[in-house]
Amino acid sequence: MLRFLARRIGYLALMLGGLVLVTFVISNVTPADPAALAAGPDATPAMVATMRQEYGLDRPLPEQFARYVGDLLQGRLGRSIQTGNAVTEDLLRYVPASLQLVLLAMGFACAVGIPLGVLSAVRRHSLFDHAVRVLAVSGVALPAFWIALLLQLVLAVWAGWLPTGGQLSIAADPPPVLTGMVLLDSLLAGQWGTAGDAAAHAVLPAFVLSLPCLASVLRVNRAEMIEVLGSDHVTAARAHGVAPRRVVGLLALKNAMLPTLAIIGLRFGWMLGSTVLVETVFDWPGLGLYAVNAAIAADFKPVMGVTLTIGLLFMLANLLVDLAYGWLDPRTRGA
Amino acid sequence: MDRRSFLSGAVAAVAASSLDPAYGFEREGSRRILVFSGNQPVPILDPHQRYDWSTRMMQRCLYDALVRYEGTPARIIPWLAERWETSADGLRWTFHLTDKARFHDGTPLDAEAVRFSFERGLRLNKGISWMLSRHLKPENVEAMDARTVRFTLERAYPDFLAFLPLWFVVNPKQVLANQEGDDHGQKWLTNAEAGSGPFRIRRWDGQGVMALEAVPDYWKGWPMAEPDRPAGVIYRVVREAAPRKAALQRGEVDVAANLTPDDIEGLERMPAMEVANVPGAAPFAIMMNTQKGPTADLNLRKAIAHAFDYEALLTIHKGQARLMDGPFPVVTADRVALDMPRRNPDLAKAYMAKTAAPEGGFELEYLHVAGLEVQRQIGLVLLAALQPLGIRVNVVAQPWPTLVGRGASPETAAAMTAVYVTPVTTSPDTVASQYASSAAGQFWGIHHLRDAEIDRMVEEAAVELDAPKRAALYAAIQRRVVDLQPVIFCMTANQQWAMRNYVKGFAAQPLNLTGEVDLFPLYAARA
Repeated sequence: MLRFLARRIGYLALMLGGLVLVTFVISNVTPADPAALAAGPDATPAMVATMRQEYGLDRPLPEQFARYVGDLLQGRLGRSIQTGNAVTEDLLRYVPASLQLVLLAMGFACAVGIPLGVLSAVRRHSLFDHAVRVLAVSGVALPAFWIALLLQLVLAVWAGWLPTGGQLSIAADPPPVLTGMVLLDSLLAGQWGTAGDAAAHAVLPAFVLSLPCLASVLRVNRAEMIEVLGSDHVTAARAHGVAPRRVVGLLALKNAMLPTLAIIGLRFGWMLGSTVLVETVFDWPGLGLYAVNAAIAADFKPVMGVTLTIGLLFMLANLLVDLAYGWLDPRTRGA
Repeated sequence: MDRRSFLSGAVAAVAASSLDPAYGFEREGSRRILVFSGNQPVPILDPHQRYDWSTRMMQRCLYDALVRYEGTPARIIPWLAERWETSADGLRWTFHLTDKARFHDGTPLDAEAVRFSFERGLRLNKGISWMLSRHLKPENVEAMDARTVRFTLERAYPDFLAFLPLWFVVNPKQVLANQEGDDHGQKWLTNAEAGSGPFRIRRWDGQGVMALEAVPDYWKGWPMAEPDRPAGVIYRVVREAAPRKAALQRGEVDVAANLTPDDIEGLERMPAMEVANVPGAAPFAIMMNTQKGPTADLNLRKAIAHAFDYEALLTIHKGQARLMDGPFPVVTADRVALDMPRRNPDLAKAYMAKTAAPEGGFELEYLHVAGLEVQRQIGLVLLAALQPLGIRVNVVAQPWPTLVGRGASPETAAAMTAVYVTPVTTSPDTVASQYASSAAGQFWGIHHLRDAEIDRMVEEAAVELDAPKRAALYAAIQRRVVDLQPVIFCMTANQQWAMRNYVKGFAAQPLNLTGEVDLFPLYAARA
């Protein structure tokens, strides 16, 4: 298991190196000039030169890259022209908000998607199964932006049940920062009113973010369950009089969970990337919104920082899935 | 019916039946807090580093300047400076300060604070620095005594006063106390303030919610009756127009900026809503590449300008715009109304006949900012207008940074680039300089125009103290610019804000940038 872990970590380091190189190259091939943009439309050439010098953009590209990698190895991601802050400082502020959203969305997707997948497989070709499959297709097919606007319209504007956006009401008393996740911090601080307010604000964005993941988990789980339920060992178990609930819950579900886990790992990274859209519509002050603002201003250091963070979290999620795979099915450890 | 129309219609229908007539403002005791919403965050609050519309709106709440703009047409009124005088040679400007002004920490605002602020702004060489750096050295700002400050310019510059409303005064004591190394307090002032304005910061998240509380004993006094004075004001950033409109309908915000013409039209019909619709000052222009490609030919530029359908611009804006009648924005001093090109297919063909390709048969790129629907629609108008000339138009949307980056060189600049030109002051020198050779490649100079006559006149007018001579020079510059046609001068769209009908004190000011509002006089009327 240790060799397996070491190999996976080695791959992770290689992929991160590749990601750094690719993001740096992409950021520097665009014709945009971050210094000129930050200096403003009326800036004199001297003002642009000041900005360029202050942010090290006057150095040759190889030197900029070497400096960036050197900083990276010391845990520094450069400074944002847009906010004036160190990118790590900004990320520490925005990552928890996105993580809260992703964890809520992932939790919801698993809590709903897995049971629905199991039930749909058990009641194959029933009306329930058809309805669930329609839900699964819709969850993947409908654009998140559109669903977000529609839900905002119906549940926030029309019904008035939920807020239109943001992480907390303006009048709410923000909790002391412990994890940076407002909902969790409110609960830890015993600020129940704020926690309720934070939960209400999280409902719509988390739900919209969860839909494609929910649909994927549901579909994969259903398909795997159908396959496992038709396998010889399940038929044998049934023939030996094992209770149906036990057959489904223990024998079939454990085997069907392997591909589902893979999907969950993949979707975790995908969800972090999707926060760009959802956080923009719901004005959720997270990583996605930070990336959008930085991209609009051609502020490349934050864009690269966000890309690396999402990439790293994505890889870590997949590493965990690989480890879970190895634990569930020891045959995969050599793969 | 497209998705946007469907959503807008659905929002309007639903809201008409469900709009809560209750007040949406926040409260603090018996006082109200108005919530304003716009699309742009305020990542750096420092008045000497940034001045885009949302940033300046917040800066005006927190800081004061020597003078400020007020009214329509915009005029300079005394603020921190009670009066001022200029030497006969136009080099020395002396300002006499009020003795009432206090910073938020109680420190008196004196001439030294003014000197410190101008020196800081010039030395940082960021944001507002371009306005004065050609004419004023940091060491030439002097505090003559506690109430008198003198500026000695390098050369006469009659426009000097026009820039001062954007030069806010910071508290030296606070800035120096929070300085890190030699950063002049830049890091600290990113999300803190050291001002004397009518509000102070209560809670600051420049990307989301910025809550300000009123300074009850603001040295200048409040414009509304004391019981109406707000407890504070909140700026809430909502990036997308649809959620912003939804927040307004739901009462989560009281005033919303940056709404689409469709949204405004829908909101105008709703009860308990009002729309402020005022003539804007930021012209929309299509800048043509005067150095490279087919548009380097003046005849082709003239042909395009006479083929363009100007009336369609008014239709796109649902009538809430007016066509430009000169190259200078309406707020600019010494502006003259000229006989501008209008749609004239025969004249367009006549100009086309003088080009190297009288039958057309080539393609021109029209570049606009991705996501700006109005600019895209104008591109389609251009496409239809140039078809009879045999010119194909390739409408291309690119992100704002790419558009600006491409415009920096005539080699990469598109044949036609869509640009909003936002005047920040009444200075004619600023606008005229946009057509000088020195502007080529800068954002306002994407046309890359190079003309020795304009260069000469711009230099002369900038330092001309005799008002009639100066006006004549600027009139000549404007005529020359129209003759050279580096730009299709389009229209100035109205500025529009939607608000709950209890919001009072809204005062339009033509020099407000984009969605900017003066939040100082706003309040919620009592029921």
